[in-house]
This record gives sequence, C-alpha cells and structure tokens, in this order.
Amino acid sequence: MPCPGKGGGGEVIEAMGLVKTFPGRGGLLGHEPVRALRGVDFSIPAGGAVSFIGESGCGKTTLGKILTGLESYDGGTLAIDGQDVRRLPAGRRRAAFRRIQMVHQDPYAALNPTRTVAQTLSDPLRMRARELSRDQSWIDGRSEDLLRMVGLDPGFVLPRYPHMLSGGQRQRLVIARALTVDPDMLVADEAVSMIDVSLRLGILGLLRELRRELGIALLFITHDVATARYIGQDGDLYVIYRGRVVEHGPTDVVIERPVHPYTQCLLSAIPVMRGLEDAGPERVMPVSDEMAEETPCLFAPRCPFATERCRTEVPPLSHSGGTPQEHACFYPVPRRVVPVDRPVTQVGAGPRG
Amino acid sequence: MVAVDPLVPEARPRLPRTGFWSGAGRVVLRKPSRIFGLAVIVFFALMAIVGPFLYPKNLPIDPNAIYAPPSLAHPLGTDFEGTDVLALIVTGARYVLYSAAVAAVVTVVVGTGVGLLAGYYRGIRDSALMRVTDLFLTVPGFPLLIVLSTIWNFGAAPAMGLVLGLTGWGGLARAVRSQTLSLRERGFLEAARGLGLSTPHIVIKQILPNVAPYVAMNLLLSVTGAIYAEVGLFFLGVVPFKANNWGVMLNLAVFSGGAITSQNALIYLLSPLVAILLLTLGIVLFLDAMDELFNPRLREG
Amino acid sequence: MATAETGVQAASPGTGEAAVRVRDLTVVYATARGELPAVAHVDLDLPAGQITGIVGESGSGKSTLALALLNAVQRPGRILSGSVQVAGVGDVVTLGRRALRQARGGKIGYVFQASQSSLNPLKTVGKQLLDLGRSHDVADLRQLIREAKGLAEEMGLDPVRALGSYQHQLSGGMRQRVGIIFALVLNAHVLVLDEPTTALDMLSQALVLGIVRRVHRERGLTTVIITHDIGVVAELADRLAVMYAGRIVEEGRTEEVLASPLHPYTAGLIAAIPRIVGDPNRSRPLSGRPPDLTTVPPRGCPFRERCPVAMDVCEVEDPALVEVPGGRRVACHARGRGVAVR
Repeated sequence: MPCPGKGGGGEVIEAMGLVKTFPGRGGLLGHEPVRALRGVDFSIPAGGAVSFIGESGCGKTTLGKILTGLESYDGGTLAIDGQDVRRLPAGRRRAAFRRIQMVHQDPYAALNPTRTVAQTLSDPLRMRARELSRDQSWIDGRSEDLLRMVGLDPGFVLPRYPHMLSGGQRQRLVIARALTVDPDMLVADEAVSMIDVSLRLGILGLLRELRRELGIALLFITHDVATARYIGQDGDLYVIYRGRVVEHGPTDVVIERPVHPYTQCLLSAIPVMRGLEDAGPERVMPVSDEMAEETPCLFAPRCPFATERCRTEVPPLSHSGGTPQEHACFYPVPRRVVPVDRPVTQVGAGPRG
Repeated sequence: MVAVDPLVPEARPRLPRTGFWSGAGRVVLRKPSRIFGLAVIVFFALMAIVGPFLYPKNLPIDPNAIYAPPSLAHPLGTDFEGTDVLALIVTGARYVLYSAAVAAVVTVVVGTGVGLLAGYYRGIRDSALMRVTDLFLTVPGFPLLIVLSTIWNFGAAPAMGLVLGLTGWGGLARAVRSQTLSLRERGFLEAARGLGLSTPHIVIKQILPNVAPYVAMNLLLSVTGAIYAEVGLFFLGVVPFKANNWGVMLNLAVFSGGAITSQNALIYLLSPLVAILLLTLGIVLFLDAMDELFNPRLREG
Repeated sequence: MATAETGVQAASPGTGEAAVRVRDLTVVYATARGELPAVAHVDLDLPAGQITGIVGESGSGKSTLALALLNAVQRPGRILSGSVQVAGVGDVVTLGRRALRQARGGKIGYVFQASQSSLNPLKTVGKQLLDLGRSHDVADLRQLIREAKGLAEEMGLDPVRALGSYQHQLSGGMRQRVGIIFALVLNAHVLVLDEPTTALDMLSQALVLGIVRRVHRERGLTTVIITHDIGVVAELADRLAVMYAGRIVEEGRTEEVLASPLHPYTAGLIAAIPRIVGDPNRSRPLSGRPPDLTTVPPRGCPFRERCPVAMDVCEVEDPALVEVPGGRRVACHARGRGVAVR
C-alpha cells in the first residue's frame, strides 16, 4: 500500500483516498452532486507505466486533471516526488505540478492557433532558459532537438501554424512542448483516440521510447485496453468504476485473468478479430445499462453475478481468493474473456496472382 | 534516438510565407472592396493630417458669393458666409478623425483590458469588473454626454475622444470577456498554465491574439460610432465649438444658415453628410478583412 | 448467469442476390484546383441479408461513399458518374426528388455518427418521428409510433422516456440507438451506419453492435457499416471492403481478409493495431500518412509511398480491382506476393 510522504522507492506519484465531488446542477445531473472520485489509492513509480481503464464518466479524466494540478480534490492525500502537495507553498506546489504534463485527446485544441510551432516551443523554453541562464541559441537548439526527438522535421514544422499540420504531427508537437519543462511524468488522456488508426502506433511507440530513453513515467488513461497494454505491458493496470478502483494489478494479469465482473465485462466487449482470433471462452455481458439506485457495490445493478450481499455490503479492495491482483468483489472468479490468438498458419497466404 | 517519422512529401513543398504583413497584404488584396475601403480610410486620414496645412488658418469669406452653386473656384459651392465648402470639409476632417481615433483607442484599451482580466481571473475579480461594466452599460450614453456637457466643456478633440471612449467600452468588455471564457475551455490555455507560463504572457501573447479579430473590428466600428456621436453633439449645439468640423457645419447649415429652406444651400448641407457616409462606408468595407487578418488559418488560406 | 453471445456467426446463406449494386461510382468535390475525386470508380456489391463493413481512414472516401448510396452528397461534392442500383428502388443516382425522398427512410435507412447531433435539438424524439412519418406520407402515424416504441424496447430503451426526450437528454449510446430507430421505423431493408460507435466507450459499443446484429438478423436486412476501426466490423461483418484514397483496395469475407490480407495496406493496417493478446511488439506502425482529396497522386497506385513491396509498375499504373479465386478482390500489382501480417 502506498504511503504518502515516504518518498522512498522513487515514486513519482503516491495518492491515497482521493475524493472529488462536483456540486450538482440542474438538467441532466439533477441536483445531485456528482461523486467523481470516492477514495482512490494508487502509486506510480519513477519511469513506470500505469494505465487507468474505465468507461466515460468513471472519474479517470478527473484523476488526470487532479494530477496535473488543473483540478482540486476534496479529500485524501497526493504526493508528488514524495512531497504532499497540500503542504507546499503556492509557488513550490505549481513547480511540483509542472513536473507532470498532460497530453490531451484533441491536439488541435491543445495548441494556440495563433502561435507558430517555433513560438509554441520557445514560450516555455524561454522560461527555462532564464532559469538556466542560457541564451536564444540554446532555445533554438533545444527546440530542434525536441522536435527531432518526437519525430518531426524541424525545418518543416518550425514556421508553420497548427492548422497546417496533420493530427499526428500536432500530437507530436504537444508531446514536444510537454518535454520542454523536463517533466517526470506524462499523463496521456485518450491521447490517440482522435488520430487515424494507422498512425496511432507511431504516437504510442513514441511514448514508449520516451519512457525508455528519458525515464519519464507514463500514466495512460483510456477506454481502449489494447493501447494501454501496448504502452504499459510491464506496468500496472487500474480499472475504475464510478469513482472507485475495482481491480488493479500487473497489466497482463488483469487482462488474462480478471476477477472483477466489471473488468470481465469491459474486456469481453473487445471485438474479436475473426480469422486471427477466437472469442474468449467465458465472455460476460452486463445485465442492464441503466444507472440504477446506488448500492454498496456500485456495479451490483449491472452485474450478472450479483447477490444480496453485494447490495448490502461494500466490498473492500483485497487479495481475497488468493489472487495476485487487488480487487473489490466478494466472489472473485478469474475468467478468460479476452480473445484467444489463433496459431500462425501461413504467412503471406493468398492465391499466387 | 527515436526514429524520425518520414513525412509524406507535401503537396506544396515551399516554405509558407507566414510573416504577418505579407499575409495581411494578401488578405486585403483578396477582395477589391477591401482595397477600396482601405483607400478611402487612407484618403480621409491624409485629409485630416495634411488638410489644414493647405489652407490659411482663417478661411476667407466672400459676401458676394453666399450659397454659390458649384463652380471651378468652389467645387462644392460656398456656405452662408461665402466660405468655400470644400475647404471647410478638408479642414473639418482633422477634428472628427482625431477625436474619433482617441475614442476608439480608449474604448478598445479599456474594454479589452477589462474583458481579458475578467475572463481570465474569473471569480471575485470577474464579478467586480462586471459590476463596473454593467454600470457603464446601463447608463445611456448620449443623454449622459449631454448632461456632462453642461458641467464640462469637452470641445477639444482629445477631451471629446476621451469622454466618448469612456462611455462606450462596456459592450466590448462583455464581449471580450465571453470570448476569453470560451477560450479557456480549449486546452491550450490550460496547457500554458500547466507549463508555468506567467499571467501577463498568457493574457497578452496567448489570449489576445485570439480575440484580436473581434477587437480590431470593434476598433473600426468604434470610430464610426464616435463620429456619429460627436457630430450629433455638435449638431444639437450641445457642445460649444471653436474650430470648424463636420458636425459644426451641419449645425450652422441648419440653424444659422437656413439651409433647410434654401435650395441653393443643399450642397452645403449634404457635403458633411456625404463625407461621413463615405468614411463609414470605407471603414465597413475594410472591416471585412479584419477576421481573416488576425486568424492565421484564414490569413494563410 | 448471463453470458455473451460467443463465437463466430454462421456463414451467411450463399452469396445470394446483391441488394445494392454500385457500379463505376465516382464522386468529386470542387476545390481550388478543380474537381477532385473523393470516390473513384468504385464497384461494390452489397449482398442481401449480409453485413458488409467498409473500412478506411480519414480521406479514404468511405463517408462520401455512404452518402452516395442515398444520393445525399452535399455541395461542393457531386456524383460525377456511375450508378447505385438498390433492389426495389432502381438507380438512386437518377431518381427524381420525390422518389428519392421516399427511398430514403422507406427503403434505405441511414444512421449518422454518434458524435453528430443529427436530431433536432428543439423537438422531442417523438415529434421528430411524426415529422418523419408525415414527410413520407405515412397514413397511420399512430402505428408508426407503436413501431418506434417496439423498436425502442428491443434496444433496451424505455419507450415512453425515449420518445419524450430531447436530444441533449440522451447519452451517446442512447442517441445512437434512437438513430437506429429512425432508420428502421419505416421498414427500410437496407441499413447504412456511418461510424456507429465513434465516441462511445467499449461497453456502449458492444451494446450497440449487439443490437445491430440482432436487428439485422430479425429483419433480414442488408447492412453496411462504415468505420475507421477494423475492430468494430471484425466480429460483426460477414464481408469487409477496405478503402484507400477513394478506391476499394481489397474485399472479401472477413475472416479471410483479416487472416490473409492480399493488399499491403490491409496487412499494414492490421499490423498497426495494438492487440489485446499476443506479443505487443509484433504490431508495427505504418509510415507516412493517408492521403486526402488533394494529395492523391494523379497517376499510379496511391499507396506506393507507404508500401513495403512497391514496384516500378506501381509508379505508373493505378492497379485495377480484380477478382481472385475464392470470391475475393484486390487492387494491387503484387497481389498477395510477399505480404506478411505476422
């Protein structure tokens, strides 16, 4: 269990019991306050990779915003590089959050349309130059290095405006900009969902490379488990449902032997690539999709295996059942729900033309 | 070292000309109406600057040529004193444009400043600034000016401009504020703060260029609004005048010169009106370019 | 204990008649450089009773093709040439306005993208259904509403609530289902879904796709799903057509196209998708960018810049879509030689 303030073991982030409640408004939400996070614990080791999986509205985006300092939290503790951010004076707190940079879903919205690429990078670099007592030539050199690092040709992109770049190029620029302040961690919130399918791997591969080369930790927030796996196969996976962690552990363990019914439903929903895969033998579906009255186990109304106990007692996070991962279910049963790879039969099969 | 993603050779391999002024030139040249508008504005600006130097300080009167019809010597005829109307128009331009320019600058500086700060800071500062803005918005401008004129003679051009500017910035402040608020929703301002960029930098370098099209349009519209306001004030005789200007001409034409009744005086009456109309037309036609001018996506095409 | 429907669909009953026949279809858009093709000489059969998936990235022309099926391409685009024969309707391209209006909705149902608000924000769903009925000269509007309510229930929606809602009161998944109701309520027999699950998360996507499968089977529809996400159609579609630069580059039965793709683009696309099982490092990015209308080279194969097996002939000659044994088609000079997926 992560403990804030310990700082040892090189944890970039340690969070305990994070709570965030949004005040209710009229309309769709009624006058009920929205409990986006109901006490979430997690830690991210330096240079590590962690993924948050869940549906829209589960709180994972709120978590990303809290970690980058864009959103406040109402309860719990958050420590960055071992320091509890609440205890820091405003200036040091901002500096701490600066070490965590966000990469959004929409690269175009994340860039100022009236600034060229050169300006977009030099704005934060100028600040850094002042800190390090460097001059303009250092700024120019660093801009070029960062652009090359993310796979962009400096000569081509520097004079251009964002609208002259493709979606993939913009996202790379956003990453380059995030790197200008030498962050310890990048938070990628659905970072590739608006990018063409054939180009996503390029961006994902870039993030992996940066982690390898620069030792930057990655927090990957997504509803697409396969991309999370690509980035963080050696890291941890957290499954979040309605503001609570329902399962977490090493990525491959959670994917291949999930024990919480929600995780199992999520993974069952991954389409099977016919011809390349066979369907997982134990796929599971939620019994309804309506958000009913809240029960102690939040997933109970939709859970195909719910019992009376689930509707009266809150299941704690534990390793009950002897599972390698932590989960919040009274009846953990590992199920193979993800597709099964078909064996390689022929390479380049096809009638000889 | 990360492998460089080989870029597909672009359809247009030449470096884009992204300089502001070259782009601006292209924007204006895109439509003939804009060129005409700019020409009109420049024409009147030159008239304002150079005009009074072309004539003696006190324009000659000619009692023998009262309300003379247009002729070679007097292309627009003469007024009730026999003074050349064309001379009156040219010399009267300076006051009008100078005070209108001051008014526009004051409106834009105060309105944009208030709007940007209110939209950026939000919270208490926003509420306070907006209460002040609402005060200026609810008090009706023109009656206020008339009342003000009784206690202060703001007949001098800068003073007139200041007064008009200070009474008219409310609408712009509200509009800039709402634009700033909606810009905040976009990710790049959040990113700027996350990167630790300073507030002055964010407000001036990040937000302002994005509201610039609207501000520029407003600047030009303020000029026209100010012209109407001051011409109206002078016409009503509310503000005492020393030197000649278009509003004064209208006042004299109607009230002192009996222009409404006399057929011959039509040109004397119409001349300042046509000048105002022409200038307004020029501004409106040029206004069309503002949106494209400040938006890099539209500017570069 | 509930379990999901597992397993692969039974093979569709024979190839059968084509419910929709597209022949030599070319759709152009007016640009600063003249009219450029977004869809170029497309031949495609949509077999009756089967689900066909049309897969392509941005700029591939897939959405334009979908609109062309209803002759709904908006200016500055227009259908330059070709025909779209729909069973029971005739050539959609040549239909008069009135007949076209009847065909849309009555014979061909179109479901918009989940993220677009194609519903009128100021009217309830029920009112818009009535509008739809009136514009199609439906005699018994009450029956129409009953149909709609029945469809809503089939899709797991509360019929009264659904029909009484305004667009903003519905979640993405709900809006998508309402879109399907609109498309089917007039008993269309061809259903076109444009990016039905973009912006939906995994569970909602599975739900919507499950509904599409069920409705398709129960009503014996001919269904077309347009998407950029192979996963969406990998499990659901009987046949796949892959589009690139306005052309169909490969077509065939889903399992065959995925297991042994003949076109390097198809192979590259499959390899470029992170998979949930297997070695993650076997996924390979595809270099370069998909072309759009203005960057398609005028001659030769549009994919050659990114192609690992490009040959000299590819510079010069745009490969035609030809049939190969096994009921498949591919547009490639290499035609399966040297194409490896794994």
